[in-house]
Amino acid sequence: MNYRENENLVAFAPFGLENSWTLDAYRSIGGYQSWQQVLSGELSADDIIDKVKASGLRGRGGAGFPTGLKWSFMPRNAPGQKYIVCNSDESEPGTCHDRDILRYNPHALIEGMAIAGYAMGATVGYNYIRGEFFAEPVPRFESALREAYEAGLLGQNINGSGIDFDLHMFVGAGAYICGEETGLLESLEGKPGRPRFKPPFPANYGLYGKPTTVNNTYTLASVPTILRKGPEWFAALGPEKSGGAAIYSVSGHVEKPGNYELPMGIPFPDLLEICGGIWKGRKLKAVIPGGSSVPVMPGEVIMECNMDYESLREAGSALGTGAVVVMDETTCMVRMLERISRFYYAESCGQCTPCREGTGWLNRVINRVIDGKGRSEDLDMLVEVANKIEGHTICALGDAAAWPVQSFIKHYRHEFAYMIEHGGRSIVEADGKAAA
Amino acid sequence: MSDDQVTIEVDGISLPAKKGQMVMEVTDDAGIYIPRFCYHAKLSVAANCRMCLVEVEKAPKPLPACATPVAEGMKISTKSPAAIAAQRATMEFLLINHPLDCPICDQGGECELQDLAMGYGRDISRYNEGKRVVADKDIGPLVSTDMTRCIHCTRCVRFTEEIAGFQELGTMGRGEDMKIGTYVEKAVNHELSGNIIDLCPVGALNSKPFRYRARAWEMIQQATVSPHDSFGSNMFAHVKQGRLMRVVPQPNDEINETWLSDRDRFSYDGIYSTDRVIKPLLRIDGEFRETEWSTVLEQVSDRLQQTDAAKIGFLSSPGATVEESFLLQRIARGLGTNNIDHRLQARDLGDSDNDPVQPHIGTDIVSLESADAIAVIGSDLRREVPMLAHRVRKAALAGATVSFINPPGQQYQFSHQYLATELTQLRAALGALIGAAEVATGKIAPDSVAQRVDRQSHDETHRAVAESLAQGERSHILLGHLAQRHPAFTQIRALASVLADMTGATIGFIPESANAAGASLVGVLPHRGAGGEPVATPGLNARQMLADALDAYVLFGFEPEVDTVEGAQAVETLRNANFVVVMSPWLSEQALEYADVILPIGTFAETAGTYVNLEGRWQSFSGVATPVGEARPGWKVLRVLANYLHLDAFDYNDALEVTVAAREAVPVELQDYRIGPMPSMDGADFGDDLMPAPISLYGSDSLVRRSRPLQRTPLARGVGES
Amino acid sequence: MSAHGLTDMSMIRNWSKTLLLTELRSGLAVTLRNMLRPKVTVRYPEEKTPQSPRFRGLHAQRRYPNGEERCIACKLCEAVCPALAITIESDMRDDGTRRTTRYDIDLFKCIYCGFCEEACPVDAIVETRIHEYHMENRGENIMTKDKLLAVGDRYEAMIAADKAADSQYR
Repeated sequence: MNYRENENLVAFAPFGLENSWTLDAYRSIGGYQSWQQVLSGELSADDIIDKVKASGLRGRGGAGFPTGLKWSFMPRNAPGQKYIVCNSDESEPGTCHDRDILRYNPHALIEGMAIAGYAMGATVGYNYIRGEFFAEPVPRFESALREAYEAGLLGQNINGSGIDFDLHMFVGAGAYICGEETGLLESLEGKPGRPRFKPPFPANYGLYGKPTTVNNTYTLASVPTILRKGPEWFAALGPEKSGGAAIYSVSGHVEKPGNYELPMGIPFPDLLEICGGIWKGRKLKAVIPGGSSVPVMPGEVIMECNMDYESLREAGSALGTGAVVVMDETTCMVRMLERISRFYYAESCGQCTPCREGTGWLNRVINRVIDGKGRSEDLDMLVEVANKIEGHTICALGDAAAWPVQSFIKHYRHEFAYMIEHGGRSIVEADGKAAA
Repeated sequence: MSDDQVTIEVDGISLPAKKGQMVMEVTDDAGIYIPRFCYHAKLSVAANCRMCLVEVEKAPKPLPACATPVAEGMKISTKSPAAIAAQRATMEFLLINHPLDCPICDQGGECELQDLAMGYGRDISRYNEGKRVVADKDIGPLVSTDMTRCIHCTRCVRFTEEIAGFQELGTMGRGEDMKIGTYVEKAVNHELSGNIIDLCPVGALNSKPFRYRARAWEMIQQATVSPHDSFGSNMFAHVKQGRLMRVVPQPNDEINETWLSDRDRFSYDGIYSTDRVIKPLLRIDGEFRETEWSTVLEQVSDRLQQTDAAKIGFLSSPGATVEESFLLQRIARGLGTNNIDHRLQARDLGDSDNDPVQPHIGTDIVSLESADAIAVIGSDLRREVPMLAHRVRKAALAGATVSFINPPGQQYQFSHQYLATELTQLRAALGALIGAAEVATGKIAPDSVAQRVDRQSHDETHRAVAESLAQGERSHILLGHLAQRHPAFTQIRALASVLADMTGATIGFIPESANAAGASLVGVLPHRGAGGEPVATPGLNARQMLADALDAYVLFGFEPEVDTVEGAQAVETLRNANFVVVMSPWLSEQALEYADVILPIGTFAETAGTYVNLEGRWQSFSGVATPVGEARPGWKVLRVLANYLHLDAFDYNDALEVTVAAREAVPVELQDYRIGPMPSMDGADFGDDLMPAPISLYGSDSLVRRSRPLQRTPLARGVGES
Repeated sequence: MSAHGLTDMSMIRNWSKTLLLTELRSGLAVTLRNMLRPKVTVRYPEEKTPQSPRFRGLHAQRRYPNGEERCIACKLCEAVCPALAITIESDMRDDGTRRTTRYDIDLFKCIYCGFCEEACPVDAIVETRIHEYHMENRGENIMTKDKLLAVGDRYEAMIAADKAADSQYR
């Protein structure tokens, strides 16, 4: 099977066109057809939700919740303002596909948000874009938004259809926690980005206390293609239970790192081959398959896996955001874990006790091990502290901070033990395989 | 069982609960304790401390009891191994960065973290890394900060936002660097801000005046009542070896809930001010000499008996207890004079006969919260009665329309309108409101009003206010201190009662000081005796007494130079009198000039007594502290003085007997008041010079004026008011 | 003589003891034996018995090497004292630290249990091995803060040595 057929592209469909981010380029591949159908009354809200449900589209932000089901939770016909919010606060380490959607295909997102807003009765949408994207993605999206307004695709009573949809762009200030949907809503309201306790869920009490649905950029950008090519086509791309394509942001020790939009469920060895294999002819050691917060998988385990939600879950990890971090045999897993734990230490919002205090504790102990002052009991303590953070916090950042610690020590305990015994010397240095 | 009832099972005990309740509320009611730090019944739920994690059947992970709504058939274990493990985990996290400075922490011994650490903490910390240190902040003279101790429960932040209404504290930074503070260094200035001391579960926020003074276990807790305003907040006095060390709120949902205003909390410092009189002082040859009680009382009784009764004036503080007020008026009348008054700040005493026998707010404190409309006339509510302002705010947040017919004073953080910009405009504004009420109700105002005020100049705001008063089922009109001190008070009162009559609102008065209601009831008035009985020949009122010198004066519990309408004039008058007896805990500079005898009486903390609050509630308390020096409770001094004067039936053995006698002398039923005859409006144009001065929050009475911490606040210095 | 409960046999035995001076002899044997044994009596005050470093005698308050008093007025000793012999008043010193304004131990009430020393988080109040002290006037039984600090200053070397000797058992 040739995975790299252009036919299989969903959100990356216009890639390769000149100035793919412009309205003309997007229209040339059938863009805004579905939205026009909505405006002309050919596509009802129920149809849209049914089609999205049938497509098997699942949230691409990491949790993989079925999108159609999420949309059906919105009290569509209840009176009052409702909101659709797009989460472009892409900050999971290793993930960079939303950035490319905003850069090269912003109109897909605009159309997807408009359709989603219509399906859920939301007349106002916000796109919350990560602050660090100010260089290219933000201006691209902004100009696309202007084009869409100028072309009469957004606004009040669009083309006399009686349909209202206003879309606003909001640039965040660069906090990882604002990628959590309720943290994002708080930030959007102008408050510190601290996740809210759930229940109530955003579908009942969201932005400014109104029913709100928050979807990931890639999820929303997939919607127009699904409606255009049909849910069956989309569902057939991937395995059962998770339809469509996935963008794998492959980074680390491969020859050709980058974003690859490929059918969901591709076997990992095939993905590795597309990326040109491990660099410098080295051996694969470990892979984090879905962004830094999912558990790490040893190379030999992931070589047997398909890259989809179910397969990776059975293997003890998760697809997450599809950010594949590949590590070769020269990688010191202790230092890798230190880098990951430092991230969560820096990004904890400080609201819940276990995460606020625990992430710093974990990071300090790992640093102590690296400094050669580790103690034999530290490893069990690290796991125990991680276990105490996991599941004890309002949002999933606590879990995200705990899982890497648990999985790194589970799979690579000998490396940690070696470093403790040898006063901070890494096992990879001992083997003469130090990273180049 | 109605639809909104569910049954849940907690630790095997089945409990009834209402839908929408959180697990913590149900277990608290049932007396099942779940450890908590961030949860507080009066604040919104934050669910961030994670101490109240409990195991819920079928839930994949432990859930916080404070934020988990009940559901039918829910099975909760608060003490299962999983729940205890989760709670212990949280405790370990809380303790790793908490300093081990309990020995120098004032919270030690009454610290929620310390208490729970006994149950859920480890003996020895496994945390061997560096601990967090946070710089302390200076947030004013009332609250001390040790921010390293902070556990980030955000109770203080939620208090300033939700209860005080001004978000003076907030969180800054994130993760381990999250800090509580004011962002720009400034004093936390709200008049209820001291409550963050009680709310703080650890020693991060503590009382600054009390800092390092005593330990919780050394002090005896005694119930008492606030002596500064007519709200009657219940308080606990903490006493060590007879000395009042600090004051904390006594929860009472019908009055002050769990709060206390800063004035009530920190005024105690004034009790031990350096100008306390510790022995009776007698002027001999122009010099004050310390004298024995017996000598000085003999002198006083001799001099008073030698003076023509009609030439003696009795002036009493509206903050004197029921017992003191009752005995003072008995002595005055026993001597044969009706020259007695407590309305020291009133400018207009023209229509006293129509004064309510018992001033009260016309409703009760709790009902005020569910009001539909509240119109406040002539009141700087936050300075007059801070806790009442809090209740009005709660009403406004629940949807009541609140309007103020007076110039803007302190700000309010809820939607409200002002219908006057100057005190001189009160009558005009009320006239316009009555006109608007005619439009809203279709009723016609009485002719007496029609002839006397302009009813036509109402605008939309007036009409909206009148409409809200007329349409609301529970509408209340409150006359505040500024109205009662207004030179046209009787007219304002009459107009307000017309407005109340037309709109169906209740009308109420906010009594001055702690006990104006009680003083009025027991007859500290020139025209009425105890229980509101009119006297045959009314005596002189306060203004008359202080305008022209009488031969002798008895001043009880106030300082004429600041507590009367025209202080300088009062002092001049008193200086010209032959004989002035001052009964006061303190010796003011001015008193040295006019007093002949100074009798040291006890402050509220040193005497038993009763205050009648603004809803007519009689609240008795006993003395909590040992009197300073030879000061004696006011009622005892008056009782013995009466014996020296050979007055009959003064054989009270204790304060309770006086209370009972006073109680028997007054009607028990609260009277609703309605319209009185319309007084003349002629020639009543007043300039600014006669208008009452702005209400002073921390200048309200002698005790507050002597409290050093309160006088150091920006509010007392008149800067940075919010 | 049976009326006295003694049998004829025992009367004979008593007579024979008396005649042969048996009891006198055995008594003198004890005396002789002890004359030759080493003496255990200590001639106090010229001689003194050995003392444990844990001996609990007169109280002292210690200072840090820089001269700062150790006591922080936590009042744990006051709380733990079973005889209610300690009275403390505290306040904020001008430099903002928590200090005692009064620290009295009533030596007449004190039962020398050492709980105050155990409770002290900063090793400020200690019981020294000094046990030879007396009072001549009423009121001298109250060890004030100044007196306690003076004792501490004078015997600091001894106190520090005792603490060091005992520290390994704590």
